[in-house]
Amino acid sequence: MIMIKAVVRPEKSNEVMKSLFDAGYPAVTKIDVAGRGKQRGLKFGEVVYDELPKVLLMVVVPDLDKDYVIKSIMTSAKTGSKGSFGDGKIFVSEVEEVYTISSGVKEGEEAA
Amino acid sequence: MKEVIAVIRANMINQTKNALLEMGFPAFTACKALGRGKRSVDFQVIQALDKNGSLSETPDLLPSISQGGRLIPKRYLSIVVPSERVKELVDTIIKVNRTKQPGDGKIFVLPVKNVFRVRTGETGEAALDEMAV
Repeated sequence: MIMIKAVVRPEKSNEVMKSLFDAGYPAVTKIDVAGRGKQRGLKFGEVVYDELPKVLLMVVVPDLDKDYVIKSIMTSAKTGSKGSFGDGKIFVSEVEEVYTISSGVKEGEEAA
Repeated sequence: MKEVIAVIRANMINQTKNALLEMGFPAFTACKALGRGKRSVDFQVIQALDKNGSLSETPDLLPSISQGGRLIPKRYLSIVVPSERVKELVDTIIKVNRTKQPGDGKIFVLPVKNVFRVRTGETGEAALDEMAV
């Protein structure tokens, strides 16, 4: 299993959630976060904003679905056709075990 | 070392906290999260709310309420433990949080490459907060 953590614009989060739902991945966890990127935040004259609000979306999917999910997040989180600074990042990490609490069983590859 | 991430019901946090402390896992990080699972809204919940049966007169209504990926408030826990204690921790979380209803949550186990304690500069398992049971 693969955990995909995407940091996206708050105003784009609904669109990303919808595209994941339509793609067949309804299970998502959403956390509000703040952060800055390579551009060191936003600078307006003397004022620097380096804690920009973002949304962290966490999806766990089977290994084979990784590229498909990343692609659907990528297309839905992009601003404009080329994308722009601040659209966010996607991190991929490995998940060794998954348990469902309600049934108490360890999940196989078929469940996410 | 492994990172155990659990997404649990928001009202279960106190019980889980106490159980973890008893089992010797004093250190963890928690935050509020929103989420949805495979089923967006529990049918049984809607049926329980629908005491006078007015919802069942309109058969299209039940599926339409449960569709669309409504977000439910959850608690997100992250605990880093030595590899050999993962099973003990997972069993504890499952035991405390299990109501056998959908929505109890998920537990994910991820590998962790290294851990540093900022105060002393210790690395590896020495940096983990271990407590004798």
